[in-house]
Amino acid sequence: MTNATLSAEGPNPVPQRTAVAVQFDDAAQQRDADTLGMWLFLATEVLFFGVLFLSYSVARAHFPDAFAAASRHTNLLLGGTNTAVLLTSSFTMALAVRAAGTQDARSARRLLLLTATLGAVFCAIKLTEYALDYRGHLVPLLDFAFDVDLRQGALVFFLLYFATTGLHLVHLTIGIAIVLVLAWRTGRGAGPRHAERVEVAGLYWHFVDLVWIFLYPCLYLVARA
Amino acid sequence: MPVSRRPSVKPPSVRAYAWTWIGLLVLLALTTGSAFLPLGRMNLALNLLIALAKALLVALVFMQLARDTPVVRAAALAGWFTLLLLASLALLDFAARSL
Amino acid sequence: MTEHPGTDYLSAGMTLRSWLTTHDHKRIALLYALSITAFFFVGGLAATLMRIELATPAGDIVSASTYNKLFTMHGVIMVWFFLIPSIPSTLGNFLVPLMIGARDLAFPRLNLASWYLYLGGGVFTLAALIAGGVDTGWTFYAPFSTLFSNSNVIYALIGVFIVGFSSILTGINFIVTIHTMRAPGMHWFRLPLFVWAQYATAAILVLATPVLAMTLLLLTLERTLGMGFFDPALGGDPLLFQHLFWFYSHPAVYVMVLPAMGVVSELVACFAKNPIFGYRSMAYAIVAIAVVGFLVWGHHMFVSGQSVVAGITFSLLSFLVAIPSAVKVFNWTATLWHGRITYEAPMLYALSFVGLFTIGGMTGLFLAALALDVQLTDTYFVIAHFHYIMVGGTVSAYLGGIHFWWPKITGRLYSDRWARVAASLLFLGFNFTFFPQYLLGIEGMPRRYYAYPAEFQTLNVLSSAGAVVLALGYLLPVLYLGWSLFRGARAPANPWGATGLEWQTSSPPPVHNFIETPTVDGPPYAYRPRVVSPQLVTAREGTQ
Repeated sequence: MTNATLSAEGPNPVPQRTAVAVQFDDAAQQRDADTLGMWLFLATEVLFFGVLFLSYSVARAHFPDAFAAASRHTNLLLGGTNTAVLLTSSFTMALAVRAAGTQDARSARRLLLLTATLGAVFCAIKLTEYALDYRGHLVPLLDFAFDVDLRQGALVFFLLYFATTGLHLVHLTIGIAIVLVLAWRTGRGAGPRHAERVEVAGLYWHFVDLVWIFLYPCLYLVARA
Repeated sequence: MPVSRRPSVKPPSVRAYAWTWIGLLVLLALTTGSAFLPLGRMNLALNLLIALAKALLVALVFMQLARDTPVVRAAALAGWFTLLLLASLALLDFAARSL
Repeated sequence: MTEHPGTDYLSAGMTLRSWLTTHDHKRIALLYALSITAFFFVGGLAATLMRIELATPAGDIVSASTYNKLFTMHGVIMVWFFLIPSIPSTLGNFLVPLMIGARDLAFPRLNLASWYLYLGGGVFTLAALIAGGVDTGWTFYAPFSTLFSNSNVIYALIGVFIVGFSSILTGINFIVTIHTMRAPGMHWFRLPLFVWAQYATAAILVLATPVLAMTLLLLTLERTLGMGFFDPALGGDPLLFQHLFWFYSHPAVYVMVLPAMGVVSELVACFAKNPIFGYRSMAYAIVAIAVVGFLVWGHHMFVSGQSVVAGITFSLLSFLVAIPSAVKVFNWTATLWHGRITYEAPMLYALSFVGLFTIGGMTGLFLAALALDVQLTDTYFVIAHFHYIMVGGTVSAYLGGIHFWWPKITGRLYSDRWARVAASLLFLGFNFTFFPQYLLGIEGMPRRYYAYPAEFQTLNVLSSAGAVVLALGYLLPVLYLGWSLFRGARAPANPWGATGLEWQTSSPPPVHNFIETPTVDGPPYAYRPRVVSPQLVTAREGTQ
């Protein structure tokens, strides 16, 4: 039974006989494990964010009018644009995964950079939105002001707004960092495991998009009619 | 035997990805537009349904869940089912409080 | 750098650095074992002080506030830093790859990260202790924890939040490993029940722990920033906290007991020299316990203000979980029948588990009955119930497992005579400590009180005295097992004559577990055939 050496990637890459880590029998098993591992991690994230969505549901049932009013104060133009940006970034990420899988290093690199850029655009828009929210006295504890009848519920709404979008932003930033690292490694002789890594990173990226897909209507579309 | 990917199923083509993207943007327009129609409770239901549709497109096409084996799909669904469990029994309690 | 494939894992690298940067699941298991033992004694110290206080009716040893801090730290440390990681992170980490014929877990570096996260969480929790303690109870109920407690709640919340991620990583690692890395021929229904148990436990860890993590985060935000999720004055709901908290914490108790059940199956089969009776139903029962365990959390909230509808629902669902548990107890008992039973220490621990778990489980049924629970909740009856399961059950199984696999892990044999003394002391001490608490509970003594009416003193003194014997039962193994490391005879590959892939490699195993990957071609627990009726032969040897 040959014990494969652990693949070494870094400043002095050793010519690799194989890129399969020692605990795995072959590349296919390694890929299976990595894929399943990422999906299980995403399952934990579903529950992690899910608790926030549950809190939102309970609070919204308790404060229907306040939630409606508060939601109308969110910036639909920026929020909607951001949604489009993120959906597009999922598209480019999927294409990047495909390119990496077909050994098209140049396209993969460009698409990964494009994905990261779109992610950065999302962040920029979001931070702009936060700045506008602050100016509009919508940040709890920082000079929050709202119609006194609805203040209590609006406070809870914006608490949840900042908690959920903030947590989402942290996840997105981590994703951007990962995508940038992968883009940098692409085409630099990144090794046989690279395509697999891009694919697994893609799963994470799409999940960040999924969270936003549900956040968007909950925060921006409560009562626009 | 491979646990995650069914080799017999082909990966999506660039066209499939493009159409999915367009579909997502259409759904985005739909959900945003419908929010301006006074449908009462149906607004929420419609928005959630559209969000679900978007999620399925992303999961099945972009994340390639349609190509994956039952084991991976079970892992993908496990979080949602558990969340559903938490939500339904907790909300049952909240709804039944006044009874 | 590459060692000879036959070098055992203990000799491959003797520096501290080689231990602290190891990727070897076996070494990580030992790192965990040392850490959880240390925490066990810290948690035990808190319990000791509590029992000293409770030996007299008056609150005279510590103040009420200090007592609150003692039971809080006892609970927090024992639950999150001892019981939850105990069997999975020590025996599970060590044995799962061996039992399935793999060279390591799927993600060795994640495994090491898991241990460091455990330590990180431990640092914050100990910081809470050193800074003066926490007085909210291990359950951290809002609004006391968010608005009124003046203790170091945040440190503890951060500590538990971090250690939660340790659990999650372990869970992911186990599930992926068991799905993808079984040796050729190791089909699901050829897996030892210990592996089934670890799998179910891992699933619970992955699905329940994130809920706790977010809940603790919300609690922290509420306490530090004055947010109003759980505060009625701000439109929040204290019961939302309880639903979220118990959604994790009830399945968490199955994280504590399922691995123990897995250990017991291995032990009972080996020391009765019989295949496990009803292997498939045992595997299904493990899965059923894990699944139903997610449906019953509201039984912790019967008197909290929860709706009666929810109360009835949770009560009925809680009765259900007794069924697969009972199946397991019956099957262990049936495994003994017509066996060649021997009573080495691991068997004593295993039999202790079966008896004490049965008592604990039955009292769980009393508590699941809505009307009875109204009387018994927040009394010593509840405390006795869960200690019968967690200490009488899990700790017995953990010690039994440590003794059983000690030769494999260390390559040394220990004194079985001393081990049997320890096991007996444990059994006696345990029952003297906790059985009186059932009686105290029925008579109405509340839990979390540092003083009580004089008529409860006799039972309390009995309980405290029992705790002394129990403590001896815990200390002895440290001594003779420690002794065996230096003076114990070298262990052969299979000192017990047990089945299972881990016994087919040397004691201790080589770095990569097996010189050659084993193949499996038969059912588990293939102990020698006995002369019994043909139907039983078919039933016992399992179906394929």
